[in-house]
Amino acid sequence: MTGIDVAVTGIGLVTPGGIGTGPSWEAVRAGRPTAAVDPALRDNSVRISCRVPGFDAERLLGARRALRLDPFVQFALVAAREALADAGLDPQTWDGARVGVVLGCADGGPGTVEAQHHVLGERGAKAVSPLLLPMQLPNMLAGQTAIEFGATGPNLVVATACASGATAIGTARDLLALHRCDAVLAGGSEAMITPLVMAGFAQMGALSRREDDPAAASRPFDADRDGFVAGEGAGVLVLERAVDARARGAHVHGRIVGYGASADAHHMTSPHPDGTGAELAVRAALADAGAAPGDVEHFNAHGTSTPLNDLAEAVMVRRTLTGDPVVTSTKGVTGHLLGAAGAVEAAFTVLAVEHGLVPPTANLHTLDPRMDIRVADTAARSPIDFALSNSCGFGGQNAVLAVAAA
Amino acid sequence: MFERLKSILADKLKVSPDRITADATREDIELDSLAVVELSLLLKSELGLEISDDDLLEAETVGDMVRLMEERSAKV
Repeated sequence: MTGIDVAVTGIGLVTPGGIGTGPSWEAVRAGRPTAAVDPALRDNSVRISCRVPGFDAERLLGARRALRLDPFVQFALVAAREALADAGLDPQTWDGARVGVVLGCADGGPGTVEAQHHVLGERGAKAVSPLLLPMQLPNMLAGQTAIEFGATGPNLVVATACASGATAIGTARDLLALHRCDAVLAGGSEAMITPLVMAGFAQMGALSRREDDPAAASRPFDADRDGFVAGEGAGVLVLERAVDARARGAHVHGRIVGYGASADAHHMTSPHPDGTGAELAVRAALADAGAAPGDVEHFNAHGTSTPLNDLAEAVMVRRTLTGDPVVTSTKGVTGHLLGAAGAVEAAFTVLAVEHGLVPPTANLHTLDPRMDIRVADTAARSPIDFALSNSCGFGGQNAVLAVAAA
Repeated sequence: MFERLKSILADKLKVSPDRITADATREDIELDSLAVVELSLLLKSELGLEISDDDLLEAETVGDMVRLMEERSAKV
């Protein structure tokens, strides 16, 4: 138990629901699915995705900056800018050495790699862009964020596949507990909807193939779910020790009061069928928060809409959380944002606690009869003091964040 | 040749056109070492000119780059 109280003072989101926290939260609150057939995947066997609508990098970042940044970095910079403005922190006046950046992604910039691989094949090695590596390296996510805002404190990118965004926020919490810095831009970003990556996911059998009704393809916990829909985007939070946030009079959206991490040590892609690895992370987050299993009122599930994940997670929730929490998966709206998912969903969990509103699980029509949990199929309004956000990655990596009201 | 270089810098490397003058230095048009390599590749693919990034780095201004391009194109 770290015994640290961490405040969320800024939220920035770029999601398939929209650019900005307002549009993103509104889409999730309304349970409005975003999945659609994607023209960029016309030659793929599965062509459904959740894109960020109307993301114009040249307009948002300037033409020259946009040209030299892979979309996974572009999304993060836009989200970080919103989070900093929301927190009322000014990079012109802060002590940058006390500001850390901890971001997560699953894959860096595969779109850049694929494009340059084509150049290599068609025009030879001497035509390959010198920007190939600086654009696609995963750590550029945090490096470019530091350059953009002059944050010269601890700076790293974590990779726990689809738990990366949550792992980043948990790691940022640890940095604040150790007083390595005073504020952290923490979150995740991902831009993996490329022909090659999507072919790989399709070959694994991980993707929904509901092309006749793409809006209904991402349907977490539903009896008819058949796989996930890939999404893209970023979520960035500004985290500070709560005592510091209060001292400067910052608005506190909510608090990250616990973090737990674990490994399944079971299989390279399948979760442990009983969710025993995820349970370890849940129990560690509860212990970190000084809370009991019955205290959890709301559970933002990983809920990918794959047959295996959702069942294992439901079994784990039923066994572990004795307070019958209201479960939701916002992936019914956003699709699966992969390395950004944990951060975007942590933001949605904070907003659920702040507004006393659990967003619905879109496309949930018939709960899988093997599941004995309470899943929100419509928006449920009620005060929430304590919630968990769960994330699981390929490789069996689990990260759980405990969120409490301000 | 200046106009050709200007259009590559503006259209392909997204340098603001108003900054591209004969007197502008590499710093003025924000051409770091990576962008100079990109420019070298573009001069080859767009204009068929072989000018290495090392040679381009020795050009102090846009005007110097234009002179380099003129010299090389005369040899083609």
